[in-house]
Amino acid sequence: MINLRVDRSATPAIEVDHLTVSYGPTPALLDVSVSIAQGTLVGVIGPNGSGKSTLIKAILGFLKPDFGSVRIFGQPADEAKGRVAYVPQRGSVDWDFPITVKEVAMMGRYGHIPWWRDATREDHRIASEALDMVRMGDFRDRQIGQLSGGQQQRVFMARAMAQGADILLLDEPFAGVDAATERAILDVLDRTKATGRTLVVVHHDLATAAEYFDALILLKQRLYAYGPPEAVLEPELLSEVYEGKLRGFTDLVKRGRSA
Amino acid sequence: MDSLYTLFIEPLSQPFFQKALLGGTLVAIVCGVIGCFVILRRMAFLGDALSHAMLAGVTGGYLLMQFFYGDAANAPAMLIGSLLAALITVGMIGFISRVSRVKEDTAIGIMYTGVFAAGGILASVFSHRIHVDLLHFVMGQVLAVNDTDLWVAGIVAAIVLSAVLIFYRQLQLTSFDPVMAASIGIPVLAIDYLLTTCTSLVVVSAVTMVGVILVVGLLVTPAASAYLLCDRLGRMLVVSALLGVTSVVGGLYLSLWTNIAGGASIVAFCTVQFLIVLVVAPRYGLIAGWLRRQQMVPQQLVEDVLSCVLRAGDKHPTLDEVQVKLEARPEAVAKAIRALFKQSLLEEEDGQLALTEVGKREAQRVLRAHRLWEAYLEHVGTPETEIHAKAHQLEHVHDATAVDYIDDKLGHPLRDPHGSEIPVDRDIVAPGKVVKVSQLREGHRATILSVGPEAANDLLKPGISVRLGPRQQNGNMWTVELADGRKIALPHAAADAVTVEVQEETVAEVGTRQ
Repeated sequence: MINLRVDRSATPAIEVDHLTVSYGPTPALLDVSVSIAQGTLVGVIGPNGSGKSTLIKAILGFLKPDFGSVRIFGQPADEAKGRVAYVPQRGSVDWDFPITVKEVAMMGRYGHIPWWRDATREDHRIASEALDMVRMGDFRDRQIGQLSGGQQQRVFMARAMAQGADILLLDEPFAGVDAATERAILDVLDRTKATGRTLVVVHHDLATAAEYFDALILLKQRLYAYGPPEAVLEPELLSEVYEGKLRGFTDLVKRGRSA
Repeated sequence: MDSLYTLFIEPLSQPFFQKALLGGTLVAIVCGVIGCFVILRRMAFLGDALSHAMLAGVTGGYLLMQFFYGDAANAPAMLIGSLLAALITVGMIGFISRVSRVKEDTAIGIMYTGVFAAGGILASVFSHRIHVDLLHFVMGQVLAVNDTDLWVAGIVAAIVLSAVLIFYRQLQLTSFDPVMAASIGIPVLAIDYLLTTCTSLVVVSAVTMVGVILVVGLLVTPAASAYLLCDRLGRMLVVSALLGVTSVVGGLYLSLWTNIAGGASIVAFCTVQFLIVLVVAPRYGLIAGWLRRQQMVPQQLVEDVLSCVLRAGDKHPTLDEVQVKLEARPEAVAKAIRALFKQSLLEEEDGQLALTEVGKREAQRVLRAHRLWEAYLEHVGTPETEIHAKAHQLEHVHDATAVDYIDDKLGHPLRDPHGSEIPVDRDIVAPGKVVKVSQLREGHRATILSVGPEAANDLLKPGISVRLGPRQQNGNMWTVELADGRKIALPHAAADAVTVEVQEETVAEVGTRQ
C-alpha cells in the first residue's frame, strides 16, 4: 500500500484511523486509514460499490464504525456536525422544489440559527457573500430548476460555504454534465481550495482524475493507495482494483498532466 | 341587487352557515399549509391512508366510551380514537417497510385498507349499539358543523400553524435535503414524526367537514395549485391556504344554492380551481408552456438561414429571398432572422442580409459539417440522389469532436463529392491553437511542438517554423515546406503525429476561401 502524506504540518482536516464499517459479514470499508491535510483537493476513486459513499457518510458522522475513528480537525466526526458540508449529487436534488438560489444559500446558515430565532442580517450577508463568491449573486431570485447544470452545482457550493464549513464533500459533481460545465465546476473547486478549504470529491472518471486533484484515494473496501495521482494511477494497481475491466489506462497520468 | 343580497348576504345571517364558513376556513387553512409539505414529500397517498384509518378510530372510540361509561357519541373520545388509529397506521407502515422488502407505497396500501376494514367490521358487529350515522364520516357534513367540531378545528389550527411557524426552517430543509439536514444536526426523524402527527391532526379535523373520501382533495389540491404558481415555499404556503379558503367559501355557497353535499361541492370547487390554474399559471401553466414553445426558434432553422446567406456569397439576399429558399413557414424564418440579429450573427443593410464575422464562422462550421457529411455519405455508399438531403439533416450534428472524427476518418478531405471545398473550422485552426499537421491546409504557417515516431525525420524538430504546401496524391500526402524551401512529404499517419501551434498571419485568408 502506498501512503504518501500530502502535508505533514498543521492538524489534518480529516483523519480516518483504521476505519472498519460493515453492513453484515462483508465489510464496506476494511481498515482504512487516511489523513487529509488542510487545503487540499482530494479525489476518491474506485469501482462501483467500493465503499466511496460509505467513506463519505463516515466523514459526515452518520455511521457508527465497527472499529476505528474519523476525526475532523482533531474532533470526533459525530461531534463535528456542521464543520463538514455535503454537496449532493445533482440527480438526488428535486429541482422543482419551490426554492430560490438565495434560499438554498441561506440553508447553509440554518445550523447557526437557534430554532426560536429568525435569520439575522449577518446571516443574510454571509449567504449573499457566498453566492457572490461562486458568481451566482445575479441569480439570487431564480428558482433552482431554471439554472444550468454548472450554475446548480455552484449554488450548492455557495450553501456549503455559507455553512462556514472548512471541509466540503462532493458526491460526483461531474456526473452528467457537458465539458464546458465540467470546466466551470472545476474552476469553482479550485477557487474554493484557494480559500484554504479542504475538498473531498467522489469521482468516477479516471482519465481526468490526475488533472483535477492534488491527491487521490483509491478505494475498494480496503485502501489500495493514497497519494499524488502519479503514484496512485499505476497500471498494475488499477488493473488489480478494477480487475482488468479497464483497458488502455497506461498513460492516464501522462495524458492527464498534458491536458 | 335584491337577488344578489339573497344569494350572498342572507345566508351569512344563518348560524349554521356561519359555523360552516368558520369551520371550513380553519380546516382549509391548515390543510393548505400542511398539504404543501405533503405534496413536496410525495406523501399524498399517506394522507388518503390516514383519513381511512380514522373509521376504525372513530368506531373504537365510540364503542369504548359506550361500554365503559355508557356515554353515547362522545365526540372527544371519537377524535382521540381517530388520532390514535392514524398514528398506529403510520407506525405500522413504517415498520413494515423497514423490516421487509415491501416498499412503502405497498405498505400504505396494505395497512390503511386493513385498518379501514377493521373499523368496518367493528361497526357491523356492534351495529345495534352504534346510534350515529357513520355515513357522515364518509361524506362529511360541513353544513351541520357543531360547536365541538369548531373547537377541535380551532385547536388543531392553532397547534399545527404554531408548529409550522416555529419549525419552518427544519421542515423546509428536511423536505428539500434530508442529508444536509442530518449533517448539521437536525433530528430528521423527529421532524418527520412532527409532520406526520400534524397531518393526522389536520385530517382528523377535516374529516368531519368534507368526509373521509374527500379530505385528501382538500389536502393536496390547493397545495398543488399553489405549487404551479409559486417559486418559494413561504409563498406557496400562503397561496395554498388562500386557495383552500376560497374553495371552502365558493363550495359552501354552491352547496347552499344547488343543494349538493357540502364536502363534494367544496372539493369540486377546489378541483376546478386547480384546472384553471393548470391552464393559466404564468410560468408552469399550459398556456405559458405553449407560448414558450411558439417563441422558441428551432436551432435547425437558424442554421439553415445562416447557410443560406453564406451560400449566397456576395449577392446578399433579402428577407423575402431567404423565405422563398427555405422550406419553412415564412413567419418562422423571419423569427429565426430576428434571433440572429439579436445574437449579432447577421446584419441588415438596405434590406440585404449579411453575415457578421462571428456569423460567418458559425455558418462555415455548419457548411463544413454539411460537406464532410456528404463526403462521409459517399464513402459509406449512400446513393448519390440521397446524399444532399441526408447531409442536410446531418449537418445539424456539428459538434466539433464529432465532426473532427469524421474528418480524420475520411483522411481530411479537401473537397466534397460535388467538388466544393470543405472549409476548415476556424475556431480550431486558429492562431495560438495546438493542432495536428493533418488538420492544416495549404498556406497555413505553424511552429512544430512535437514529432511522434511515425513522422521521425531529421528535418522536423520542435521549435522550427513550417508552411503547408499543396496536398499531393489525391490529397493523401501532406507537404510541409521548411524555411529554406526544402519540402517533406507526410502520409496521413505521419501528419497526425506532428503537433504544431498555428501562427498568427495566413489563417484568415486561407480560412475564408470558399
